[in-house]
Amino acid sequence: MNRLTKKLTDLKEENKKALVAYLVAGDPDIETTVELIKLLVDSGADIIEIGVPFTDPIAEGPIIQKAHDRALANDVSLKTIYDIVNKFRDLDNETPLVLMGYLNTFLSHKKLIEENQNNAIDSILVVDIPGELNLADYGITNETINTISLISPTTKKDRIQSIAKNSSGFIYYVTLRGVTGASNLDVKEINTNIDEIKKHASVPVLAGFGIKSKEDAKLLADCSDGVIIGSSIVQMIEDDSQTKEFDRIGAYITQIKQAIS
Amino acid sequence: MTTNKHNWPDKDGFFGEYGGKFVPETLMHALEELEKTYNNFKDKPEFKEQFYKDLSEFVGRPSPLYFAERLTNHYGTGSIWLKREDLNHTGAHKINNTIGQILLAKYMGKERIIAETGAGQHGVATATVAARLGLECHIYMGAEDVQRQSLNVYRMKLLGAEVHSVESGSATLKDALNEALRDWVTNVDNTYYIIGSVTGPHPYPMIVRDFNSVVGEEVVAQSKDLFNDMPNAIVACVGGGSNAMGIFYPFIDIKETRLIGVEAGGEGVETGEHAAPLNDGTPGVLHGALSYLMQNDSGQVKATKSVSAGLDYPGVGPEHSLLKDSGRAEYVAVTDKAALKAFHEVSELEGIIPALETAHAFAYLDVLMKDFDSSANIIVNVSGRGDKDINTVAEIDGIKF
Repeated sequence: MNRLTKKLTDLKEENKKALVAYLVAGDPDIETTVELIKLLVDSGADIIEIGVPFTDPIAEGPIIQKAHDRALANDVSLKTIYDIVNKFRDLDNETPLVLMGYLNTFLSHKKLIEENQNNAIDSILVVDIPGELNLADYGITNETINTISLISPTTKKDRIQSIAKNSSGFIYYVTLRGVTGASNLDVKEINTNIDEIKKHASVPVLAGFGIKSKEDAKLLADCSDGVIIGSSIVQMIEDDSQTKEFDRIGAYITQIKQAIS
Repeated sequence: MTTNKHNWPDKDGFFGEYGGKFVPETLMHALEELEKTYNNFKDKPEFKEQFYKDLSEFVGRPSPLYFAERLTNHYGTGSIWLKREDLNHTGAHKINNTIGQILLAKYMGKERIIAETGAGQHGVATATVAARLGLECHIYMGAEDVQRQSLNVYRMKLLGAEVHSVESGSATLKDALNEALRDWVTNVDNTYYIIGSVTGPHPYPMIVRDFNSVVGEEVVAQSKDLFNDMPNAIVACVGGGSNAMGIFYPFIDIKETRLIGVEAGGEGVETGEHAAPLNDGTPGVLHGALSYLMQNDSGQVKATKSVSAGLDYPGVGPEHSLLKDSGRAEYVAVTDKAALKAFHEVSELEGIIPALETAHAFAYLDVLMKDFDSSANIIVNVSGRGDKDINTVAEIDGIKF
């Protein structure tokens, strides 16, 4: 059982909600990313989602777009992702790592999968591939890496079924019509849709996009198996990367974790 | 089975291995809805009647196929014919597609229209049809293009559209597309996205091709009328590739006609500073489709360079990628310098100021005409007129108004 499945199973048994924290690989630089991942885990994040920088991240709002640009300016890409992943694995061999990125970077570096020999990476989430398509058919996953699919408020029932069938790891429910970091959550709709997904899904359903405050996190954790926080963290990384004093990120994660516990 | 006939895309939206629907999940339903609407309406007599009526009465179609006598004499061989898309209302082929897509938007009950634009021609064409139907219209345009195509920006504003200047990335057409997609993800329920080229996720490459194929259909008929034969070659510029696809499509199974797409060679293909993915790219996924793409070995999309805002795009429509691989169409590139020379030559020889995009197609005649004897008929698709480029060319020529 890979780390992600194990973590989600453990949380479920303990009746706890998962907290997934997102940051962009190489923002502000490789060493700091490793430190930041450690900080997020130490502060209460259960799972880390590492954004793989791409020039044209069409699902991202301005905050995460800028982080992609900063990382690209440091020449960080999927090809150098193990610089981060392996350094982190030296410190922590328990916390699940999910790579989240865009199809073109994964297609141009399929070696990623061969290079994952010690299973440092647990899961892959490709934002711009339809959920009913199988990443394995594109050569970008194998039996040890599970794949996370997105379901959105606009996904109709028949697609929910086929996407749910294709997901291992967890299902990422996109809580709003929009890009990452937007602010138009409709909790009633989210509730109804997650209930529908749960009818078909054998894996947990986590909610992300647009969750900022601990109140948002609590509301969404109540109707899902956990929440994903991205833009707020990335904004703080941007704000504090000059001083490299990231204490408030740790405090923020701890607060969110408490709110959903 | 008619296996030799070109019959793409397949049911999943692929042209051979190219194309597809590689978008965030939020857009999948909208694409399915669009495909269903299009398939439902495209062959209905009332839809076709309305489309052709609008093209005739509002756009001014058919556009002439015009014998370019002095240009022909200039090369001293063959006969050069110009398909005059520059004479369309709003000044380019782009209006053909927007006339069709706005009808789909209306049938789907969408009240808000968005579009991306590079040179501004698609933005103007979209703003025009949106104004005609009284629909709210938002145009995304790279900040650099807003600068170099200021005339078209003002035209869009006059037509009641809101123009959003996009500062992210390279601030050109690709970034305008990114931003339009982000808008669409956010407002998908009430918004119709009129993509302006044969790019993007399925069904767009098919829809835009079909609407623009009116150009090629007219050329088939006009060729019979004017020289009682099919042309030896058709030349069109290729950015995303909509004007080329529109004129090529009815000729794909007419094998005696060579189809030649001319990409933006910028500083020269060998310098890497260009916008010629079919000449110097590899297959990759951008803006929802797999197609030839200018990218580095990490799968990052490269910045492009072209004097022409409309060709300044790192990707290309997936059907062109298929036609390249199959060898049915030839894809070449000409430099900024060659395009500018042709811009001046055609203006002086023919009394037609072509768009800088179109000037790329003309520039290739220098090479192409050597292949033909005096009996040959060569067609250049004059995809648009050059009024919008006056400031750019004047600046290059060191002229201040």
